[in-house]
Amino acid sequence: MKLGKEEIQKLVLGGLLLIGLVYVYFNLLLAPLKKQQAAGRQSTAELGPQIVNAKGQLKRTAELERTFSERTTVLRQVDAMIPEGSPVAWFPTKVGDFLKRQGIEKVTTKINTEAAEKDMPGFRRLSWGIDLAKVSYSQFGNAVCALENEDPLLEIRTLQIDASRDDAETQRVTLTVNNLVKQ
Amino acid sequence: MALRINLYHEVLKARQLKRRDPLKLSIYGLSAIGALFAIYYGVELGRMHAIGSELARAQAEFAQIDPKAKAAKLREDEMNIEIRKSEIVTRRMEDRFYWAPMLEQIAQTVPREVQITRLTGDVSGDTVHKCTVVVDGLSAGSDPRKVAEELRTALAEKLGPKYKGVTSNFKSLEDGTELVLLDGKQMATASFAINLQFITGEEAAPAPVPRKKR
Repeated sequence: MKLGKEEIQKLVLGGLLLIGLVYVYFNLLLAPLKKQQAAGRQSTAELGPQIVNAKGQLKRTAELERTFSERTTVLRQVDAMIPEGSPVAWFPTKVGDFLKRQGIEKVTTKINTEAAEKDMPGFRRLSWGIDLAKVSYSQFGNAVCALENEDPLLEIRTLQIDASRDDAETQRVTLTVNNLVKQ
Repeated sequence: MALRINLYHEVLKARQLKRRDPLKLSIYGLSAIGALFAIYYGVELGRMHAIGSELARAQAEFAQIDPKAKAAKLREDEMNIEIRKSEIVTRRMEDRFYWAPMLEQIAQTVPREVQITRLTGDVSGDTVHKCTVVVDGLSAGSDPRKVAEELRTALAEKLGPKYKGVTSNFKSLEDGTELVLLDGKQMATASFAINLQFITGEEAAPAPVPRKKR
């Protein structure tokens, strides 16, 4: 079949139309769609681990919550042990009353220093000087034993026992104790 | 044989030519390709829709779970602080230095020939306690220095099994000028100061390594 000039022109035109169609289809229609698909897939893939982490966090917290009460029993007990109010108001009275029950009179308690507990937010450490004017060694030993056993927040840091020149049976004792209190 | 003459051959030829029109064939071809492209595009649109749905579902799930996870993280941090505080306070209470047993041991060690005139004690450190105790006193006897020496060694032996690194040294040991009456006899005296040092407690376990963030 022999093609005429007009037919050749029509074929060329058809070819150009085909090229145009392919270009428009791939570049203006399919490419943005593929790009959107890739972005959607990537976003979904990125969200996957985040969802897994979030679920893991919820699980870890629930597990910790389950054992929390048991693991903080001591802290709650300590919290209940510390009276409300300024320690200067209650600590000297508490020590005086305690030592009076042990048979020791003439007790003077004064605050020395005060420092925040860096490892324990919400608590501070107070240092006190306790002076026992007249006490026998055995009486003092028993009182120290009882004090150390009954008040776990109290720690004796220094002590000085001086024999009395006038009375061989009694000594003068000076203690420095640290005590943990709430902020 | 009959002669057949095709009087319409020109009309037929024109029809044939029209049927084989390249433009028409091109349009058909283009239409077919266009239809294929449209079908493929439709498939891809469907796929895109599925991906979008999956993404929306994931985003909705994340939007729902993320605030809860953030709140849980805060709660976990709070609980960890409280647990750590509880552990610290427990360790401090358990690792305290107890003076009463030590005072008892000193009292058991001091013989009747010795009078303690002053006893000072100091403890330093939170987990490992370094303790220093100075015992000042007067010893009496035919050889008061020997009595003081026996007290020094007896103190070291008494405290040795209970505490670590016990050392017992004389800070001073001097003959006294005064005489004392002991068991009805006048005895010479010596004044002494014994320096006792020892260690109690154990190093705290190192803090756990924080978990790596994923």
